[in-house]
Amino acid sequence: MSSSKKTQNPEPIKIKKVDVFYGSNHAIIDVSMDIKQKSVTAFIGPSGCGKSTLLRCFNRMNDEIIGCRTEGEIIWNNINILDKKVDPVPLRRRVGMVFQKPNPFPKSIYDNIAYGPRIQGVNDRKTLDSIVRKCLKDAALFEEVGDRLDESAMDLSGGQQQRLCIARALAIEPEIILMDEPCSALDPIATAKIEDLIDKLKKKYTVIIVTHNMQQAARVSDYTGFFYLGKLIEFGETKQIFEKPVEKLTENYMTGRFG
Amino acid sequence: MVERFHEELKALKKDVIDMGYLSIAMLKKSVEALRKQDLDLAKWVDSQKTLIASKDSNIEAKAFQLLTLHQPMAKDLRLIACSLKMITYIARVGRYGKDIAKIAVELSDKPHIKKLVSIPHMADIVCSLISDALLAFEKETIEPIKEFSERDDDVDQLRYSIFRECLTYMMEDQKVIKQCAQYMMVSRYLERCADHACKMAEKIHYMVTGDHIEIDIKSIT
Repeated sequence: MSSSKKTQNPEPIKIKKVDVFYGSNHAIIDVSMDIKQKSVTAFIGPSGCGKSTLLRCFNRMNDEIIGCRTEGEIIWNNINILDKKVDPVPLRRRVGMVFQKPNPFPKSIYDNIAYGPRIQGVNDRKTLDSIVRKCLKDAALFEEVGDRLDESAMDLSGGQQQRLCIARALAIEPEIILMDEPCSALDPIATAKIEDLIDKLKKKYTVIIVTHNMQQAARVSDYTGFFYLGKLIEFGETKQIFEKPVEKLTENYMTGRFG
Repeated sequence: MVERFHEELKALKKDVIDMGYLSIAMLKKSVEALRKQDLDLAKWVDSQKTLIASKDSNIEAKAFQLLTLHQPMAKDLRLIACSLKMITYIARVGRYGKDIAKIAVELSDKPHIKKLVSIPHMADIVCSLISDALLAFEKETIEPIKEFSERDDDVDQLRYSIFRECLTYMMEDQKVIKQCAQYMMVSRYLERCADHACKMAEKIHYMVTGDHIEIDIKSIT
């Protein structure tokens, strides 16, 4: 699963018959789907439908939840990442995550981004400088903060903080970026910037985004999965899902007739 | 808010249907005005042109407002998209009605060269095409528009036969050229209205099924 194994047209990530339980609550029921790499996949659905739970399977964050049990397989580069033998720590180096509320460390902008590489043993100042620069540029933040890298990340605006978190995720060179409602705490201008960024990120990364905003899913994603009560109801190209959903449930949700 | 949106969507649909029936009335009455050489009827058709134009712009404004405020998706989006296209075709039908009414006035000074039969018959078929399109739009079903291609062929054939008939009259007697040229024009307008009905049917098919189709519109010239 090293970055050197990245290919131009990598195999899709195969989700096979995944079930997730929180104690006796069956949160994800028999979900199978293929996530195309180097593209944006959106998970949509009403609250409690299991979309965030499935998202957390990709970096095994559910392991941290007491009483949570996962069955099935997620095959990525020929490895079942749900297998207990797979160490989640190196997995999480390959799978970055951005959360609903920006969560920068109470450190300088520079140190936020350098944090991951330093843990991985990169200490050379010049290398760190170039990583910080590159990640800030990739996260469309460099022009705004390039001249004040030593200032506290906590002084940035919400939108800037969120892009900093994306830059921080990029610093460990992940292959997959998970986004759990990344714009729900942001104003429309900051949201537009994040959406533009997601569009750029898909050239290099596989992005999976959970969003409550259907228009956002329609704008940024290539593929969309609609979830309801833990089941994947419909999955397909975003254009098809939003213009011509096959399932009545999807259509009713899209048109606000329930949910 | 969602409920209000769906109420507004229903109202939009009703407006489109009302506009559609106005265009049918304009077309029907214009041909009647021509047949009966009835100037009052022709004037009535002419007086409706501003009404149909204002319906066109009002519906368009309402549709844009719904798109902006509610950002609809799936079948709601398709209904609005279809409505926006429909009103353009309907407005064109209304305009052709007005043009035929104008010809009715021009041809009112002397009797027709013969009793008009083919043109009113053609108008009946065209109006039934438009009303079936409106029915399909209202009921959100493709049943009424299933045989539009064949029905449009009938209209084309009628237009061609009117063309040949007029040609014969004009060759026989030069004095009827002005009248015959106008009859040919009217049949051309009616044939275009049938094409517009077919375009409406294509959009309705998309609205109902989500699939684009093309109705084979053959124009014989």
